[in-house]
Parts: sequence; C-alpha cells; structure tokens
Amino acid sequence: MKTLSDDELMDELKKRLKSNHKTIEECNNLIKQLWITNKKLEESEALKSHFISNVTNEIINPFTSIIGLSNSIISSKSTDIEKVKSMALLIHSEAFNLDFQLNNIFTAAKLEAGEINLEIYNVNIKDIVNATIENFSNESKKKSLQIGVAFEGALKAKSNNTFKTDPHKLKIIIANLISNAIKFSNTSGKIEINSTITKDILTISVKDYGIGIAKKDQEIIFDRFNRLNNCINDQNRGHGLGLSVIKSVLDIINGNIELNSHKLGTTFVVTIPESIAANNVDDFANNDNDFLLNKK
Amino acid sequence: MIQNTSIDIHYLQPTVIFATNKPIIIQTILGSCVSVCLWDKKLRIGGMNHYMLPFWNGVGLATPKFGNIAIEKLIDKMLSLGSNKKDIVAKTFGGGRIIETTKDSNFQIGSQNIIIAEEMLKSEHIPIISENMGGTFGRKIQFYTNTGVVLHKFIKKNPLYLNDSD
Repeated sequence: MKTLSDDELMDELKKRLKSNHKTIEECNNLIKQLWITNKKLEESEALKSHFISNVTNEIINPFTSIIGLSNSIISSKSTDIEKVKSMALLIHSEAFNLDFQLNNIFTAAKLEAGEINLEIYNVNIKDIVNATIENFSNESKKKSLQIGVAFEGALKAKSNNTFKTDPHKLKIIIANLISNAIKFSNTSGKIEINSTITKDILTISVKDYGIGIAKKDQEIIFDRFNRLNNCINDQNRGHGLGLSVIKSVLDIINGNIELNSHKLGTTFVVTIPESIAANNVDDFANNDNDFLLNKK
Repeated sequence: MIQNTSIDIHYLQPTVIFATNKPIIIQTILGSCVSVCLWDKKLRIGGMNHYMLPFWNGVGLATPKFGNIAIEKLIDKMLSLGSNKKDIVAKTFGGGRIIETTKDSNFQIGSQNIIIAEEMLKSEHIPIISENMGGTFGRKIQFYTNTGVVLHKFIKKNPLYLNDSD
C-alpha cells in the first residue's frame, strides 16, 4: 500500500474541499432557483384565478352585445340600411374578438395538454400574411390605423415562393402579433409588417408606434395571463394569453421571438426555420442495422 | 433486428405528448431533451413525451416542454387509456451534454432533465426497465407501442465547446 506524504495528503484534502465547496455552491444556487420558482408558482396560481373571472367576462360581454344588437335588427322597423350596417359591423367585431380569444384559449389548452401536432405544408407566406391582415381590417379601421406590409428577400420575387411550415400555427402567431399591435397603437397610428425569407429562415416583424414596453416589463410579458397594469383599460381588452401562446407554438416549430421596445413603439421579430415534412424526418426505417436494442 | 415497416410512424415534436392504444412507432430526436417511454405490459399500449427543460417555473404556459409537467401528463394519458399504474414500466432516453463546457458540473440542463425523470418515476412507483441517458451525443429513438421495444441510435456529431462564461 502506498503511503502518502503530508504534503500529498494536504493537497488531496484541499482538492476535496474545493470540490465540496463547488458542489455546495451549486446546491445553494439550485435552492435559490427553487425558491424563485415557488414564488412564481404562487403568483401563477393567483393569476390563474384572476384569469378565470376575467375570461368569463370576456365571453359573456360579447355574447350580450351580439344577442342585443341582432335582436334590435330583427325587431327594428327602420329601413335605414346604414344604421343596420353599423349594427352588423358591431356584431361582426364582437363575434370576431370572441372567436379570436376562444381560439387562443383552446390553443393554450391544447399546448398545455401536449396535444398539438404539426401539419407541414408548402405555404405561400404572402397569402397567409395578407389574409391575416384582411381578417383584422375592421379592427384596424375602428382605430383608423394604417397597416403597411412589405415582403423582402426571397419573398420579394413575384413568383409564388413557398415555405414548408404549419400554416395554422403560423396564422396563430401572426394574428396574435397583429392583434397586440392594434391594441397598443394610438388612434390614427400605423403598424408595419415586414416578412422575409433568407437561408430557409422566415422572419416576420410587426412594428407598432404605441406606448412601448418598459425594460422591467419586457421579461414578464411572455408569462401567461400577465397584462401590464398600465395597459389595462376598456379599449385594451384581452386576457394576456397571446404572447405566451406564440412562445409555446414557437417551441414546437423551433422558432424564436425577440422584442425591441422603446417609448416610440414596439417591434416583435419572429424567426421560424423551414420545417421538414414529418414523414421525411429521417432515415430511421432504412438504417435499422445501426440501432441498438435497449436492455438494462 | 426488429423490422416492422407495416405499422405507422408518428414523429413526436418537442414539447408534445403522444400516447395510443394502437400499434404504432413513435420516433423522435433528442439532444439534451429527455423522452420517457411508458409501456403497459398488460394492455400492450404505450406513450412517449419529449421535454426540453426540467421544471416549469410559472413562466409562460404550463406545457409539456417541462419535465415535471410532461411526465405527469404522460402518466395521466396512460391512465385515461385504461392503464393500471402497476402495469406500467418506463424506458428513458436523452439528456445528452451536447454543448460541452469546460465547467465540470452535474447541474447542466441534460443532467437536470435526467434527474427529474428518475425522481418522478421513482415517486410514482414506475420502474425504469431500460435507459440510455447522458453522454455527449444526441440520439434518435423509435418506440414500438405494441411490443414496448425501443430502438436507439446515437447521432455522432462533434460536440460544441463553450467557455465557462457561455
């Protein structure tokens, strides 16, 4: 058996102490993280209860308006077509908002249940962006907003450029970004939507000229149910699910979202890599010989 | 080697859960992510998750992107398909240290993902009958839900080295 000199023993002891120290430090960091997590979970529970009461209002109010307004049209003896049209516009607006918000709630529920799947198609990005903007035309008209659209990179060409992705998920992302931009824009303001494809990556940016988001709030806006206090008023309805839905959808399609905000407005930039159709994902079936059969 | 090309293949995206009572091959690709495959040996049905981070900390949606949510939901799905918890066994894969740092730590994402799988399955009394976790490679796996067999293959790429500060 080898005998160790005092110096060697001391070195070994120092080494072990150092490694113990490191582990203790890492454990302390983990405990700190756990404490923060617990705190956030408590907050989240509180927000969830608030969300339920909030969302009940969000659903009941539009229905009350839709029923009331449609009833007025039915029972009205007026032949003033403009008056009827303006009531129909209100019904459309309430129904559109209700549909949009319910879609977000259902998407969030599916994401949380892990039951959302990708359906990859060759998608015409220009068509999707234009159609989504068109869907929000009444909402933007209500605030007299101008929506500018630009296509760059591979999308600049007149030919029908397609991009492999899930069109439904892409629509959810664009619709939520536009809805947010409309909500937080000042009346008669403008929104700029820019789309580009470079090296198989689709980038969509949505810029508004609203009140902007304070630096300290930028970290929490992706949390579910969180709406910034200074943004809540009668005009800015909603339940704060939009951005967390976007973020979770992007997780599935390997995308990313960044924001750049200052006092003169906010720009959200979404990047999405081109997807591979699920049935071509890899060559598993042809390479079975390389596989290891796993046993313990 | 098992070859069964007649059954359908379902590609499992990250943050998604898939459990079925039909014979199917569930396949996925893992880096530091972990997949737990649960198999009911009596009903011969199975399900798989694919999570990226160990814990949901209240930020964003409580999706199966997080291990604690993904494992709990996968067990729930197996139970809703008629499984009895005592008949369920688990196979776990992934948690590779694909981004190599000079810091020797047990607390990297991959390692944390592995720990949460082991701890949660232990507390649910579901035995891990097979596993291949850790290491420095990514993996491709195929889970045959009718037989419970999991085929496993390393993706051999040079690991990406980062400094301590990264």
